Amino acid sequence: MDLLLQVLINGILQGGLYAIVALGLALVWGVLNIVNLSHGAFIMLGAYISWYSFQWLHLDPFVGLPLTAVLMFIVGYAVQRGILNLIVRSPMFNTLLITFGLEVVITYLAQLVFSADFRTINPSYSGHNITALGVTIPVVRLAACVMAIVLTLAMWYFLLHTRLGRAIRATAQNLSAARLYGVEPRHLYAVTFGLGLALAGAAGGLYGTVSQINPYIGATLTAKSFAISIIGGLDTPLGVIAGGLILGLIEALTALYIGPTFADVASFGVLVLVLIVRPTGLLGRTA
Amino acid sequence: MSPILEARQLTRRFSGLLAVHDVSFSLSPGEILGFIGPNGAGKTTLISLLSGTLPPSEGEVWFDGRRIDRMAAFRRARLGIGRTFQIMQPFPGLSVLDNVAVGALFGRGQGQPKLALARESARECLQFVGLGKHVDQRAEDLGGPDRKRLELAKALAMQPRVLLCDEVMAGLNLVEIDEVIDVIRKVRDTGISVIVIEHVIKAIRNLSDRIMVLHHGEKIADGAPDSVLSDPRVVEAYLGKKRT
Amino acid sequence: MKTWRLPLIAVVLVALALLPWYGSDTMIQFGISTLLLAVLAQGWNIIGGYTGYPSFGNSVFYGLGAYGVGIAMVQWQLPFAVGMVFGVVLAVVFAFLLGIPVLRLKGHYFAIATLALAQIMAAIVSNVPLAGQNIGLVLPPLNNDRMFYELALVLLVAATLTVWWLTRSRFGFGLIAIRENEEGAVVMGVDTTRYKVLAFALAGVFSALAGGIQAYWITFLDPGSAFDITLNVKMIIMAVFGGPGTILGPIVGSFILSAISELLSSEVTSIAGLFFGIVIVVAVVLMPRGLADVVRRFHRLGWRYFVDNIRTNRI
Repeated sequence: MDLLLQVLINGILQGGLYAIVALGLALVWGVLNIVNLSHGAFIMLGAYISWYSFQWLHLDPFVGLPLTAVLMFIVGYAVQRGILNLIVRSPMFNTLLITFGLEVVITYLAQLVFSADFRTINPSYSGHNITALGVTIPVVRLAACVMAIVLTLAMWYFLLHTRLGRAIRATAQNLSAARLYGVEPRHLYAVTFGLGLALAGAAGGLYGTVSQINPYIGATLTAKSFAISIIGGLDTPLGVIAGGLILGLIEALTALYIGPTFADVASFGVLVLVLIVRPTGLLGRTA
Repeated sequence: MSPILEARQLTRRFSGLLAVHDVSFSLSPGEILGFIGPNGAGKTTLISLLSGTLPPSEGEVWFDGRRIDRMAAFRRARLGIGRTFQIMQPFPGLSVLDNVAVGALFGRGQGQPKLALARESARECLQFVGLGKHVDQRAEDLGGPDRKRLELAKALAMQPRVLLCDEVMAGLNLVEIDEVIDVIRKVRDTGISVIVIEHVIKAIRNLSDRIMVLHHGEKIADGAPDSVLSDPRVVEAYLGKKRT
Repeated sequence: MKTWRLPLIAVVLVALALLPWYGSDTMIQFGISTLLLAVLAQGWNIIGGYTGYPSFGNSVFYGLGAYGVGIAMVQWQLPFAVGMVFGVVLAVVFAFLLGIPVLRLKGHYFAIATLALAQIMAAIVSNVPLAGQNIGLVLPPLNNDRMFYELALVLLVAATLTVWWLTRSRFGFGLIAIRENEEGAVVMGVDTTRYKVLAFALAGVFSALAGGIQAYWITFLDPGSAFDITLNVKMIIMAVFGGPGTILGPIVGSFILSAISELLSSEVTSIAGLFFGIVIVVAVVLMPRGLADVVRRFHRLGWRYFVDNIRTNRI
């Protein structure tokens, strides 16, 4: 029973982190209708940025999140403005292809620059645990999960209650109407994608505190982000929280009852099942 | 004469909204039946129920003595139900000829398994509707009125027994409308029964043997054109529209 | 087809067939790899190019073919040919079982689903004892590159002839109709579900045969290499670069890209990945309809062709 409780808590903690992992993808997909197959690779980049900030600038990964986020925002803005804006109106397949290509390029460059060894971000408190009710909770995991949820809620607030957020949503729903209101679509698209990557960067920074990072984590993270986005639906960032928690729990329980090597199979299996049975997501309508 | 197509208490709901409600009618062989009604009356939905694009929430569809409302759309096409779309559905990357050839390949019965023969049938259908000169053009290059003709040719290539025309005259000028009326009459003369949805009342009155009126998803009139068009309920439904 | 094309193809074909006699060992090996990739690209062409359902998971069929041969030869001591048939059977069963639900999905959902399936298969197979689990299988060695080369060439010709047949058959027209306008195809009498699954299975058959040849040629397989996800990148970009929905496009695409990648590899090690990635990005922006389309329209439009592509697709 204790073991089950521990596993459930692990699943929830991981699930919270998963929310921010998927959020950037869901945002860009829901708003720009860009299915970004390189999302995970950018998470990986964010993780490395955080790692280097920690190594060179001794920036605590949580404190350094804004730096990582800003840097990734700039990258995202440039990528959208320079590359993706050029194909926005072509068939969806082209977006899939081009982001597929970006993933390959980024992974390759990361492997070249960072080398393939595993790293983690280890602030001084990384070994500390909180014990309560017979359950051990690593401090970093808790902090990462909390931070992830806070960021997700902040994004939800941003989209619903700020001018820029509403401009983004308006552009998503009706480009021509938004234009009439003075929205410059190229800039707005770039801002949105920049936000998506900023979120990916933040996710990477948090991810690096609880898991090992190497240049190849991108593909799996992308796939999981898809699973989370599809399970939770693309309507609202809250859906992503739900999707993340569901996935985290599924993985934890699968590892416990079937075997750790099947955790990934379970996530992808759920993704395929949800797609087949209810493509609109368990919670809402997808783009 | 027993009807070739029959709807019995057809109903279709969309999340609680009744798009078509308890509609019953029958189409006799060789008849031209006109469907009119204000926008949103449910005409296209009704056609989709007949062609199989949408399943009914309640009610039955009978074709030539067989019940078909549970049948998949492609099977109904093979039985002999052809339809044109209001929002046109060409195969953009294919030539005009090949667009119609698809109809010949897959239409009624087993279709025509040989591509060369299918293309010949396609040529004939294109001549029939007046697109003979455009056979080798790309479908996406056709202008509005020609696209309508292409829709008709595609449906005809299937050798249908019933043709469901959804607003083939929309956006056409008077001369083009007369041409379409001629084509539809020719179609009927080959033995095909036709249902025509239209907004152009004058054209419908000239063309149809019978007119049916839909309003808010319900049938409010069904009979000879002149009596239906002077029916006060019909006039009231169209209040604000041009009186003919 | 223009009159000079058929003799040209014949000449190329003969030259290719005779390569094992005049080419070096490295060339033959490069030839086998390239031919197998071309088969994958052609297979993808059937479901992605002609039917319009871009599968990001055809690597599953490849892996099933490889394991079909592996299991048959190693665990059951059956001959290679039987192994190939077994692999094809596995692929077809997979295509029907999983194709039916997954092909109901549109566009990018289908792509994502196939991507997920590809990830799953690798993980599942690494847990199956019959397949040697994570360690993999070692096949009986056969040192006959010449035979493998000709086998791969025959397979490519078969795949290409199949695609050619598609362009003049009722089945093929049905697939093209599905690609151009699925709803329109349905009301014209095309049994879209059946046709999509058949196309998927057909692509699977060729991919599985390629995987089978690869397995016996390399004499070793493990889940990672058999269900290699990057194969999907390669086959898609080769088909798309050459021209999806054309008969020769995928072949041209795979030959050109393989050759360049090989040349680059000899200069800078393992830059193949980077190269493919950049090619994809550039190609999607400048020539989204592939080389075949460029060839067709360049002499009329010149460099404006590329500019036009950008102009129509940007915001």
